[in-house]
Amino acid sequence: MNMPAAQPADGERHAAVLVRDVDMDFGNGPLAVQSASFSLEAGRFLTILGPSGSGKTTLLRMIAGFQKPSRGQILIGGKASDAVAPHKRTIGMVFQKLALFPHMTVNENVAFPLKMRRFNPKDIPERVARYLDLVRLGGYGTRRIHELSGGQQQRVAIARALVFEPDLLLLDEPLAALDRKLREEMQLEFRRIQKELGVTTINVTHDQREALVVSDEIIVMDQGRIQQHADPVAMYRKPASPFVANFIGVSSFLKGEVTETGLSVNGFSCAGTLPRNMSLGSVAQGAIRAEQIRISATAADLASCDTTLQGTVTDTIFEGERLLYFVAVPGLATALQIYHHDPLGHAPHDRGAAVTIGWNARDLLIFPPQNM
Amino acid sequence: MPETNPDFRYPLRWRIMDMAEAIADFLWPRRLSKYTGWLFIMPALMLVGILVLGLIQIADASLRTLDTATYLPSDNWSLDNFQKALGSSVYFKVAWRSLLGAALTTAITLCFAFPYAYAMVRTQSPKVRKALLIALFLPFFIGQVVRAYGWLILLGNGGMVNDVLGLVGIGPVRLLFNYPAVIFGLVQYMLPFAVLMLAPALTAIPTETEIAAGSLGANWLQTLWHVILPMAKPGLVGAGLVVGTLSLTDFAVPAMLGGGSQDFVANAIYDQFFRTADQGLGAALALLLVAVGSLIVGLVFMVFGAGTLSMGARK
Repeated sequence: MNMPAAQPADGERHAAVLVRDVDMDFGNGPLAVQSASFSLEAGRFLTILGPSGSGKTTLLRMIAGFQKPSRGQILIGGKASDAVAPHKRTIGMVFQKLALFPHMTVNENVAFPLKMRRFNPKDIPERVARYLDLVRLGGYGTRRIHELSGGQQQRVAIARALVFEPDLLLLDEPLAALDRKLREEMQLEFRRIQKELGVTTINVTHDQREALVVSDEIIVMDQGRIQQHADPVAMYRKPASPFVANFIGVSSFLKGEVTETGLSVNGFSCAGTLPRNMSLGSVAQGAIRAEQIRISATAADLASCDTTLQGTVTDTIFEGERLLYFVAVPGLATALQIYHHDPLGHAPHDRGAAVTIGWNARDLLIFPPQNM
Repeated sequence: MPETNPDFRYPLRWRIMDMAEAIADFLWPRRLSKYTGWLFIMPALMLVGILVLGLIQIADASLRTLDTATYLPSDNWSLDNFQKALGSSVYFKVAWRSLLGAALTTAITLCFAFPYAYAMVRTQSPKVRKALLIALFLPFFIGQVVRAYGWLILLGNGGMVNDVLGLVGIGPVRLLFNYPAVIFGLVQYMLPFAVLMLAPALTAIPTETEIAAGSLGANWLQTLWHVILPMAKPGLVGAGLVVGTLSLTDFAVPAMLGGGSQDFVANAIYDQFFRTADQGLGAALALLLVAVGSLIVGLVFMVFGAGTLSMGARK
């Protein structure tokens, strides 16, 4: 099983968000969310990562209280999320399409939750200005929403969701529509603001880079199930399943029989790291990251690798800071993907070139068959 | 073509278009293409042109008084008809009744149409939406006159409504031939127009925006007041303009449900043209109605913008 062990009751009591055995059944096919359980401590930044249709947005909507789980329990600060009417919850949310009020100015948008929540009218202008400063929009208060750029609108949405000091901030893929440069800038902004305020945050995205950059913790979901819950480094280093290995980063997959040192793929001995309790001879899948495979024209360069294979370059893709090689090894079903950094400093291997590739046993992760 | 592919055929739609283009090329050669735009607005120009011609003729008629001896319009122009129309307390009353009626009808219709359109746009159930749409469109198939007759039957002294009231010991109540009956008939007639004008404006408000208002702390009434109504303003203005102008100039409902005692301006114009045969006075009244109607529409445009009628142009 990939799920983290159930939290002890003590940990649950301090959890800002506690999700326990939650199912969501829309009544049309498989469950949208299936036995989801996790807990999140106050002040942490969690990203729920998954492809479209993985149930991540449904899970977020249940946490927000917009949808009631078919089964299970969601506690926010110890209270059931759907026990209070939406407008009485103290959850800030940044929506996918931002949902700013186009007929109001920036100031009015940010003041709106304060007015609705009956903050002292005398404090409102000062507080609005403070939060606009926080998102670096000081001086933009009297602008209309349509006069702002995409990134600025994004910042208004963040200020509006945070200005009433919610216990929990929910981000429903708010960066999905931005171009890459702006998205990366806003990722760092989210991180900075979250650290500055220390607000517990749950972010939903399909962008693995965003998840790695912004989060303290990541949950990977697929087909309604939580696949893994870990911090970004552990998630990247020790993916719990081939799905996670494939979804985060670029990996190549090898399918073969389990040997004492790794996998035997069509007679090639591939050194790898075996999980416990693998029976010899059983069929298993291994994954290796593109940056963990070394590539060279001469076999002697890779003498230190645990495994070396001979292959042919079938394609080279220039990605700017690195090259991505596709190397076909006779006998292996799919071409292996290999990153080569500093592509300008070395003579690249042309398409069709014969090369040697190699890796170390610790980098080929082998997964138990039930995770295939 | 070398290597003809026997399975390859253009879709019918393409071939029809090819043919149409060939014919168009023949009828309207390419060198005339810079005038194509004019060609397309020709029908509209002709329509407006004919209307303008009609208006000029009416203007001409309005300046000629009726000679009661010969029953012919006078040869010379004068403003007597306008003086008569503006000076008469009867016409003042009729005008006031029409304007008030239009305003009341607009207000009441919008109040009913808004929740209807909102429910239709926001309902999760396709069945409910279909039912609401059918209920909306059915009256369109029944003309205004037939519908007014229907109300005569239902609301008459021996009608179904009075029968029901009789069962609980009330009545018979005079439900017809008074001002409320006219307003009632107008509202019932205008409701589908208003809903159809409102629905696109409400569809344009993302559900997410309403959810966002809720998550920011607004209850449903605050969401309605601060978010939905302001964002639906273009639809409300558009619907209001259509309903307002249609009711201001309505003829059949005041004539039938008002029973001659609740004339609107259109009825007065009709009387002048076809009963007393005073073309001049009728024309003057018609021009005044056009002027007042245009003035109101112009004012609304200036204050609220053209709403959905601006077709997306920023005001």
